[in-house]
Amino acid sequence: MLYREAGQFKATYRADMQMFPIRQDRIAYYALLVFAFIGVPLLAHFQIGMFGRDYVFKAVLIPFLVLSLAAIGLNILTGYCGQISLGGGAFMAIGAYFGFKFATGFGPLMALPMVVSILLGGLSAAVIGVLFGIPSLRIKGLYLAVATLAAQFFFDWLFLRVKWFTNYEPSGSVSAPELNFFGYIVKSPVERYVLALTFVTAFALIAKNLVRGNLGRQWMAIRDMDIAAEIMGIRPLYAKLSAFAVSSFFCGVAGALWAFVHLGSWEPLAFNIDRSNQLLFMIIIGGLGSILGSFLGAAFILLLPFFLNQVPSALGLHISVETVTHLEFIIFGALICTLLIREPHGFAKLWSLAKEKLRLWPFPY
Amino acid sequence: MNVAAKIIPPTTATDAPAPSRRSGEQLLKVENVVMRFGGVTAIKGVSFDVRKGEIRAIIGPNGAGKTSMLNVINGFYHPQEGTVTFKGEQRTAMRPHVAASQGIARTFQNVALFKGMTTLDNIMTGRTLKMKRGLLAQGLRFGPAIREEIEHREVVERIIDFLQIAPIRKSLVGKLPYGLQKRVELGRALATEPELLLLDEPMAGMNLEEKQDMSRFILTVNETFNTTIALIEHDISVVMDISDRVVVLDYGLKIADGTPDEVQKDQKVIDAYLGVAH
Repeated sequence: MLYREAGQFKATYRADMQMFPIRQDRIAYYALLVFAFIGVPLLAHFQIGMFGRDYVFKAVLIPFLVLSLAAIGLNILTGYCGQISLGGGAFMAIGAYFGFKFATGFGPLMALPMVVSILLGGLSAAVIGVLFGIPSLRIKGLYLAVATLAAQFFFDWLFLRVKWFTNYEPSGSVSAPELNFFGYIVKSPVERYVLALTFVTAFALIAKNLVRGNLGRQWMAIRDMDIAAEIMGIRPLYAKLSAFAVSSFFCGVAGALWAFVHLGSWEPLAFNIDRSNQLLFMIIIGGLGSILGSFLGAAFILLLPFFLNQVPSALGLHISVETVTHLEFIIFGALICTLLIREPHGFAKLWSLAKEKLRLWPFPY
Repeated sequence: MNVAAKIIPPTTATDAPAPSRRSGEQLLKVENVVMRFGGVTAIKGVSFDVRKGEIRAIIGPNGAGKTSMLNVINGFYHPQEGTVTFKGEQRTAMRPHVAASQGIARTFQNVALFKGMTTLDNIMTGRTLKMKRGLLAQGLRFGPAIREEIEHREVVERIIDFLQIAPIRKSLVGKLPYGLQKRVELGRALATEPELLLLDEPMAGMNLEEKQDMSRFILTVNETFNTTIALIEHDISVVMDISDRVVVLDYGLKIADGTPDEVQKDQKVIDAYLGVAH
């Protein structure tokens, strides 16, 4: 009853092409933005509910936001363009280490401002992403996945062994310079959260614009039927490599944010194959070929364990911490299996089905 | 029979007989094309031409090499011998996307739509070659990028209107009935504003009513947009009705070429279709 677009007529193509053509969606989107940008910091300020705890920001919200961005990046490549990649972690690492180099002085360059360093970190990842995307012009599917795996292992090795990247730190671990944004030093978890949120909101918007524009259609055409796409005049070279570039750029920016905003100091281990797998699981569970799905998948993978962890104590059960952790794994695994059996297309599909039902509710059809 | 096709009123029928275009200039010329796949020779030195503004049919029994011929024309196959001349430019091999930019569009025997995309997006992909805005402009979606998008949307909407598929504009094409998928595919090819439109069995698997609709669309495209059409079709009555000239292939050889009437009376054609006593 509430969710119905009856009476919302579109008189122009511009109105029909907006991101949320249905008014209720638009309202929900802006409400969510307002809550995330203003509501959450306010709640934190007045120490209300779970937002009063720094832990929630450090261990839940910031990782969720940053990995959502990385998941969007991978989703552009795998979900939209159909090129399976196991190198998400590697491109995050490139963003992090090159961002670090730019922020502390890359060769003869002086130390660059933070925003520029993060973006340049992303750009470096994009350039390298294109190089590693070249095999995609010849090989497809699982074989390509194996080729991207090479990127993962190569960069794991490179950042561990080549001391130049870590500015010759004896421990091999590097620390991010202070987060100076136009003179404002970002320190507290809430400030870091707002910083991550700003980046993620801006880049998610750009991603959404790309995938519903001409380039996004080219990517999806290559994914769905590459022969027909080429016959329509789409150049596979341009479509595939641009997907690699954009995807790697997003992963690179996410990597820089992960290192600077979330970790603070890090080792190559932070971006190993586990990270790549985690990103792949996020987009599979969230929904391939969906920006919203990237967020939902990241939320599922990161937030659910956190809440599962809280359940026994909330119910007043006294179970040892170890048992809780094991239970968490069992339930989490079972939930993933159930979800993928019930809806192989992930949360994004569930969400659109739910919206379809809501439009008709309370009538069955 | 799908519901949508039933409720859609038929388009304006073309009563007047198609004017003779036999004197038109050559748009496409295929000369001595030989196409081998390993030990199999699919096309054995076929030559024919397509004149500007005509509807040219390629017919023949199964395995005659018709689809291979289309694949050669739009650059999907590269023939071992022979040349393809399009708009006066002779070439032996060109990439399909180059052919597309030269003005050759096609549809496929088994519908080759982008299944995960909506009807609208599918037809919009046909406009790819005409869209010029770069990555950054599209990402920010400001002024020029969105204006370009709207401009092309208008063209696409005209095609959607013409093909009477407005109600399925936002449906995923993978879920549409077959007849409509064929129509969307025609729309996608039309969106490229081709000079030469190659249709590979546009009426395969359709019932009579759908065939009539599709025939009208093809004739209207040919007459209003002056698009040259080369089509492969098995339904001989359709071919005889709508085409200006027919070329007949059998086992990779051209056995007849001429107006529908001439071809129909040709003894070799009759033999190829009905078989001949040995």
